[in-house]
Amino acid sequence: MPTDLTLRGELADTSIPAIDTPAELALRFNGTASEYFRIWAVNLCLTLLTFGVFSAWAKVRKKRYFYSHTTLDSTPFQYLAQPLPILKGRLVAVVLFAAWYVGSHFFTTLIPYLLALGAVIAPWMVVRSAAFNARYSAYRNMTFRFDSRYWDAAKAVYGWQGIVVGVLIAGFIFQKNNTGAATFMPIVFVIGMVALVLGTSFAWWIRRLKSYLVSRSSFGGKAGEFAATGGQFFKIYFMGGLIMTLAGIIGGGLGGALTIAMKPGLSQMALLLIPIYAGYVFAYGFVQANTGNLVWNSISLGPLRFKSTLKGSELAMLYLTNALAILGSLGLLIPWAVIRTLRYRAEHMQVFNDGGLHAFRGQDQTAVQAAGAEVGEFFDLDVSL
Amino acid sequence: MNDGALQGQYFDGVHPIGAQATLLLGGSEAVLIGAQFTQRYVRARLRVSPAIGSADRFVALPDGGQFQCLDNPALDTLPQEARSEGMVAWLEQRTAVAVLAIVLVAGAALGGYFYGLPAAAQRVAEAMPIETEQALGEKALSWLDQAEWFGPSQIMPESLDHIRRGFEQLHEGLPMAAHYRLEFRAAPKIGPNAFALPGGTIVITDQMIQLAATADEVLAVLAHELGHVERRHAMRLILQDSAVAVAAGAITADAASLSVAVAGLPTLLAQAKYSRTFESEADEFAFGLLRRKGISPDAFADIMERLAAGQGNREAALSFVSSHPVTQERVQRARAASRE
Repeated sequence: MPTDLTLRGELADTSIPAIDTPAELALRFNGTASEYFRIWAVNLCLTLLTFGVFSAWAKVRKKRYFYSHTTLDSTPFQYLAQPLPILKGRLVAVVLFAAWYVGSHFFTTLIPYLLALGAVIAPWMVVRSAAFNARYSAYRNMTFRFDSRYWDAAKAVYGWQGIVVGVLIAGFIFQKNNTGAATFMPIVFVIGMVALVLGTSFAWWIRRLKSYLVSRSSFGGKAGEFAATGGQFFKIYFMGGLIMTLAGIIGGGLGGALTIAMKPGLSQMALLLIPIYAGYVFAYGFVQANTGNLVWNSISLGPLRFKSTLKGSELAMLYLTNALAILGSLGLLIPWAVIRTLRYRAEHMQVFNDGGLHAFRGQDQTAVQAAGAEVGEFFDLDVSL
Repeated sequence: MNDGALQGQYFDGVHPIGAQATLLLGGSEAVLIGAQFTQRYVRARLRVSPAIGSADRFVALPDGGQFQCLDNPALDTLPQEARSEGMVAWLEQRTAVAVLAIVLVAGAALGGYFYGLPAAAQRVAEAMPIETEQALGEKALSWLDQAEWFGPSQIMPESLDHIRRGFEQLHEGLPMAAHYRLEFRAAPKIGPNAFALPGGTIVITDQMIQLAATADEVLAVLAHELGHVERRHAMRLILQDSAVAVAAGAITADAASLSVAVAGLPTLLAQAKYSRTFESEADEFAFGLLRRKGISPDAFADIMERLAAGQGNREAALSFVSSHPVTQERVQRARAASRE
């Protein structure tokens, strides 16, 4: 039928434009368990023998290993941080933790003030650790950047939820100071309201945090863009909750039936925790995989797009087999577990270059050598753990 | 003799696009040769990134550029970016060193766990006055009272006075004597039990008093609790448990992000062993104290046996017995102590 043929020919000419399929930039992780085992063992030993002081060096060595053995388009990433700023950050963290520990155990009246102090410090920690990580991560002789002020971080971390919770707590303290008792706002009400606000808006809170972190990060003058919605996050958390509830019902139902049927002992009852635990691990893998996919698939960085294809069941099995291997080997298989997890993650990530890497242009501040210049600064410290 | 003709890629720091290049290393100079450029550098002003695994290394050039190539021994003859890491890298390349490291870690962990940590915790606890624990003990008691685990004691005041007098005679002359306070509580949910709270407050439940056949049996239980306070077990347990948690966290730091289950269970088991050790220590203290005050440790054995027998209240007894060493052993040691 000639008419059909011509039509087909026309369609082929007009409706299929020459789409430049974006070129894939290969992402590979080529670390090996045997190599990483030696690095892990030596650094762990030195850390224990120096009562933790060496942990800053250990962190640099491990990060350097992971970065250097991850290649994008055959070029490895580069980790540039020096141990001393990390040691400084860890000292700050130890002091904060000790203050909290001593305060909450021995000076219980100080707890509200310590919590308030923690709430004030938290956004600063977010900014510092993100900026540190970005500045000391480099690709092709150009560092990443993270530009944000304290106030932006506070808005992202607390947002309207922070205001609502703050008002509720202030109201509770106010009435307690004035009437001496919790009358019109009992503590149960306050806790319930806080749980309700945080529980229902959790997905939107996570979206805001991720969006903040992505959009303030940049490489070669291009800032990240983030397109995911809170609703997409909510769907994932909701499904995760559903999986756990289901596992709970199955575990509880089996338990009930078993108790009636054969009056089991305490150890047999403990076996019922297995379906509940399995449900928990599976839900955890599900949430991790799907939020990971959602986050990466929603990011664009200049001409770069990402495709993450993690699977919840695979991730759950990975975690489960890792845990069993580590427990069974008294910890000796920790390096193996770390490497296979990183490999799995890299294998399920694709990077597409839609345009050209010419779009990225480095500046003086992003030069790798500029990173070292700021080491002397007091606040150049790593507070991420 | 061309000891250094390195093939690699050059990145200018402005564009993330590489160019094939060769770096020639001479005695005092280095020459970078690409398809469209040739650049000379003073060799002493190059900086090489530390070796790591089998990864490429990076040579920072004085003009802000970077040369990247496979690891090569020639790179170790250039100025290093981080000297301290170079030594670590040398260690990391040797399997024998890794095996030695594992042996050392295992030795340090076991030695620290069984000897170092308990000894250090004891010293620190002795250096800290018991007053530092008092806030903690008061918080625990008020929490237990508020959470309705405890109600006011239902036992006749005369009996309580009798026990209190016995308790005062029991702790008379002990180093911590000034800090002791005895509290009676009804605890139907908890059953027969006694607690030494941090700071010197000892709580005994009505159910425990009712379980006792003689006043000496009550005093035997209280002597055990006095042992916890005298030996500063509350503080030592806090110190030891947190040290174990920190060490376990350090060892499993890499794995913790992978599997939630990895660090938790071993830590709990390790900590449970410490509390069993303290129970035995408190038992030994109690046997000595009872004998000095003219009470036979048999009283302790008797009430322990009755506790274990459960008196039809199996689960309640379990709560007191479970965190404690195997009851039979404790009873045997008490009987042995009474024969001495």
